Amino acid sequence: MSEHTSVPALTGREWAKSKLFLGMSLGDYLKSLVTPGNFVVGLILAVGLPVIVYRFAYGLGASTNLTQTTPWGLWIGFDMLAGVALAAGGYTLASSVYIFGLEKYHPVVRPAVLTGFLGYMFAALGLAADLGRPWNLPVPFFFSWGGPSVMFEIAWCVGLYLSVLGMEFLPPVFEWLNWPRARMWAVRMTIGLTVFGVMLSTLHQSSLGALFLMAPTKLHPLWYSPFIPAYFFISSIAAGLSMVIVESALSHRAFQARTDHRVDLDAIALGLARGASIVLFAYFFVKLQGVADGGRWALLTTGYGYWFMVEMFGFVLLPSLLFAYGARHNRVTLVRWTAAWTVLGVIVNRLNVSIIAMNWNAPERYVPSWMEVMVSITLVTLGVTAFRWIVNRMPVLRELPEYRDSASH
Amino acid sequence: MIPHDILTLYSAKMLEYGIAVLFLLLFIPFWRYVQGPANAPALAPARSRVPVVRAAEWFLTPADRLFHRGHAWLKGGDGGLVTVGLDDFAAKLVGPISRLALPSVGATVGQGEHGWRLTAPDGRSVDMLSPVDGTVVQLNPALEASPDLAERDPYGDGWLMKVRPSRLRANTVNLMADRAVRRWMEDAAAALRGHVAPGLGALAQDGGVPVAGMARAIDPDAWDRLAATLLLTAEEAPDA
Amino acid sequence: MKLNRRTFFKVAGGAGAIALAPAHSAGATTSAEALDAGRRGVLVDTTKCVGCRACEAACAEANTLPGPARSGDASVFATPRKTDPASFTVVNRTAVSPERFAKQQCMHCLEPACASACLVRALEKTPAGPVVYHKQYCMGCRYCMLACPFEMPKYEYDSPAPYVRKCTFCAERQAKGLDPACTSVCPAGALTFGNRNELLDIARERLYTKGSPYVRHIYGENEVGGTSWLYISDIPLDKLGLPAGLGTYAYSSLTQASLAAVPFVLTLWPPLLMGIYSFSRRRQEVEARGAEAREGADNV
Repeated sequence: MSEHTSVPALTGREWAKSKLFLGMSLGDYLKSLVTPGNFVVGLILAVGLPVIVYRFAYGLGASTNLTQTTPWGLWIGFDMLAGVALAAGGYTLASSVYIFGLEKYHPVVRPAVLTGFLGYMFAALGLAADLGRPWNLPVPFFFSWGGPSVMFEIAWCVGLYLSVLGMEFLPPVFEWLNWPRARMWAVRMTIGLTVFGVMLSTLHQSSLGALFLMAPTKLHPLWYSPFIPAYFFISSIAAGLSMVIVESALSHRAFQARTDHRVDLDAIALGLARGASIVLFAYFFVKLQGVADGGRWALLTTGYGYWFMVEMFGFVLLPSLLFAYGARHNRVTLVRWTAAWTVLGVIVNRLNVSIIAMNWNAPERYVPSWMEVMVSITLVTLGVTAFRWIVNRMPVLRELPEYRDSASH
Repeated sequence: MIPHDILTLYSAKMLEYGIAVLFLLLFIPFWRYVQGPANAPALAPARSRVPVVRAAEWFLTPADRLFHRGHAWLKGGDGGLVTVGLDDFAAKLVGPISRLALPSVGATVGQGEHGWRLTAPDGRSVDMLSPVDGTVVQLNPALEASPDLAERDPYGDGWLMKVRPSRLRANTVNLMADRAVRRWMEDAAAALRGHVAPGLGALAQDGGVPVAGMARAIDPDAWDRLAATLLLTAEEAPDA
Repeated sequence: MKLNRRTFFKVAGGAGAIALAPAHSAGATTSAEALDAGRRGVLVDTTKCVGCRACEAACAEANTLPGPARSGDASVFATPRKTDPASFTVVNRTAVSPERFAKQQCMHCLEPACASACLVRALEKTPAGPVVYHKQYCMGCRYCMLACPFEMPKYEYDSPAPYVRKCTFCAERQAKGLDPACTSVCPAGALTFGNRNELLDIARERLYTKGSPYVRHIYGENEVGGTSWLYISDIPLDKLGLPAGLGTYAYSSLTQASLAAVPFVLTLWPPLLMGIYSFSRRRQEVEARGAEAREGADNV
C-alpha cells in the first residue's frame, strides 16, 4: 500500500505555472491557446457576449421573440429544461456507482458529475438570461416563499442540487490543489451527497414537468397529461445515461493525453446502453398509457399527432431497440450514435412540451430570435470551455497515483 | 384532471390494463435480449482483453503472467509453449517502434541474455532481455506489417514470440508475479520520476500517464541510453 | 339588518385587504361564511354595455396609465383588442347586430392559477377579491402568464426592469371604501360592483325570469373554480371573447397532487437508497472475500 507521496509544496509563480498554465510559462501558455478550436470559441464569444449585454441593456422585447401569449421560449425550453435533463448523468451515475455498487462505471462517474454540474450551471445562466428581474433571484430563497408553487419547489431543489454537485466535485478539486485532508473530508461526504442528490433530482426533474400541468388549455392534449412529471423524470434517466456515453466518447478522443487508457470505455458504453434501452422501453409504454388514459387516440391522425408519433417511435422506441441490439451484439459505435440520437430526442421532447406543442392552437407561432439562439450557443460554449479547462488540470478522466489506494471516489 | 365520462371510462380502463399487460409480456423477453446470452464474450472481438488487476501506478501489470526484471513478460498455457512480450513500462518508455529485430524461428534464447532489439523512428535502438530459456517456435506475424503493435498493445495483439522453454521451472525463480510485480513496478516508476527535473512532484501537472516515448521526453539526446539502463541492457560505461 | 351587515363586511373586507396585502404574513383564516360575505365581485351585463369605453378611461386615470387608444372613435372596434402592459382593460365589440360589447380584464379568480404559480407570492389573492401584485418580489419568471387561462398578466417586455401588469380590481380604492374606477363611471349600468353572492342572485333573477332574453349561464360562477368577475349576456357566451372549455376545477389544484408527493419523496428516498447501498456494499464485501480466497489458492 503506497503511502501518499509527498509532493513539494509549490508557491506563487510555480503554483500558477503548474496548476493553471499546464506547466508552461504564461507566455507559452497563451501561445498554446491559439488553436482552431479556441478560434471558434473566440468567434462565438465575440458575437455572443455583446448579445448578452444587449439583452440586459435593452430588455427581453428587444432581444427575444417572446410575446404576451408565449411567455416562455428557447431559454426555458432548451437551456433550462433540456439542460437539466441532460445533466441527469450526475445523479444516475453517482447512484449507480455509490449506491448500487456498480464499480464498473467508476471511471466515468467524475466526468458525469462534472457534466452534471456544468449542465446545471448552464441551465441556471440560461434562466438568469430569461428572467425579467434576475436580481430578485434571492427572493424565493430568503424573502418570500410561494409554497403552493411548483416553481418554488424547483428553485429550492435546483439551488440545493447545484450545491450538492459542487460538493460532489470537491474531491478532484482538492486532489488538484493537493490538500489531502480536505480531500478526505470531501470524500466522506460522498454517499450522503449522493442520496441527497438522487432525492433532489427525483423532485426537480419531475417538477419541471409538473410546471406544465398548469396549462391544460395551452399544451396540446397528446403531450398534456397528469403524468408529465413521471415522463420528465423517466426520460431524464435515459438522457443522463446517453449523455454520459456521448460525453465519455468525446472526452476520450479529445483529451487523449489526460485519459487513463486502461479504462475499458467500450464495456462501459455497452453497459450504460443496456440500462438506457430498458428505461426507454418502459418510457415508451408509460407514455402510451398516458395517451390511453386521456382517450387521445383520435388525435394521432392530426398534424400534431404525426409529430407525436415521430417523437415516440423515432426518438423513444427506435433508440431503445438500437441500444438493445447494440448492447447485445457489442456494437459500440452503434451505441454511441444511438446515444447522440437519444440526446437529440430528449431535446426535441422538452422543446415540444415548452414551445412546439405549447399554444398549439394560438394564431401566432413562436420562433426564437437569432439573439436567443446566439445566447444559448454562447452558454453551451462556455460550459464546454469550462469542462475543457477543468479536465486539462484536474484528475477527472484519470486518477492521481498518490490517491489511488485511499478510498477513491 | 381530464374528466372521463362514464361511457368511455370502461373501454379506457380496459385499454390501460391491456397496455400494461402487453408491456409486462414484452418486458421479459426484452430484458433477456438486452442482457445478452449468458456466455457471451464480454466485449467486441476487435479488442483483445486482458484482465486488469491492481495496475501499479501508471503501468499496466496484468495478473495472468510472469515478469522479468528486464521488463519482459511470459505467459504459459499454450500447450507447453510460452508466449513472450515486452511490458507496458518498456512500451511507454521507448514509444513508437519502427523496426523490431526478433530472433529467428529455431534460434535459442537465454534468460537474462539478449532477446530482441527495438528501433525507434529516429534510428536509435534499445535492446531487451529475454525472460526465458528456450527455442523460438513462432514469431507474431502481425508485427511484420506493424511493428508498433508491440508498443500499442504489448499484452494483447502485440505479443512478440512463442518459445518452447527448456528450463521453465528454474527460470520461474527469477520471475515475478503478483505483489512482487506491483512493488517492482512502483520502484521502476519512482526511478523514472527521479530522472525528471527536481522541483516538480509529478511528471505531468495533472499526474498524467506518461505519454508514449517517456525516455525521449526526459532526455531527448541520450534517450536510448536511459532506456537501456532501465531495461538492464546498458553497456558497461567505460571508466572516464 | 342586511344593509348594516353588508356595510360592516364591506369595511372589514377592505381592512382585511390592507392588513393582509403589505404584511404578507400567512393569511388570517376566516370562516367560510365570513369569506363569502367579504367577497367582492362585478357583474358584467353585456346587454347593457354601449361601448362608450368610459371604463377604459377611468381605469387609465386611476392607474396613471396613458389613456385608451382612439377614444371616442368607433373604428377601434374593428379588430378585437387585448389588454397590454399599459391597458388593464379593453372593451371589444363581440357582435354587430345586435351590437354587443364585452369588457375584458383580469377575472380575479377565487382560486387564481397565477397566485398559486407565483413562487415568490408576488401575486396574491386577497379575501376581499382582488388578486394583487407585490412588485418588489417579482423575479420575472412569467410563470403566472403561462398559468393564467385568461392570459391576463401582461409583461413589460420593452423595459430592462420589467413588471407584470394587469387589472388590480382597484384594491387600494376598495380598501378606502370606494368602488373600482371602472364600475363607478359606467353610465349604462352594465357593471355592478358588490358582494359576489348578491351579484349571483341579481344575475339569476335576470336570467331565470320567464321570457328573459339571457343565455342561461353565468360565466365565472364556476369556471376555473369561480371568478370575481361574472358575465351574463343574451348572445352565446363563447362569443364574448372569454375562453371556453375551462372546466370548473381550480387550476391551482392541478399541481397540488404533484407537490403532495414531495414530502413523501423526502421521507422515503433516504431509507430506500441507504437500504440499497447497504445491500450492495454487503454484496461487494462478500465478493471481495471470495475473490481473495480464490487468489490465495492460485498462488504459484
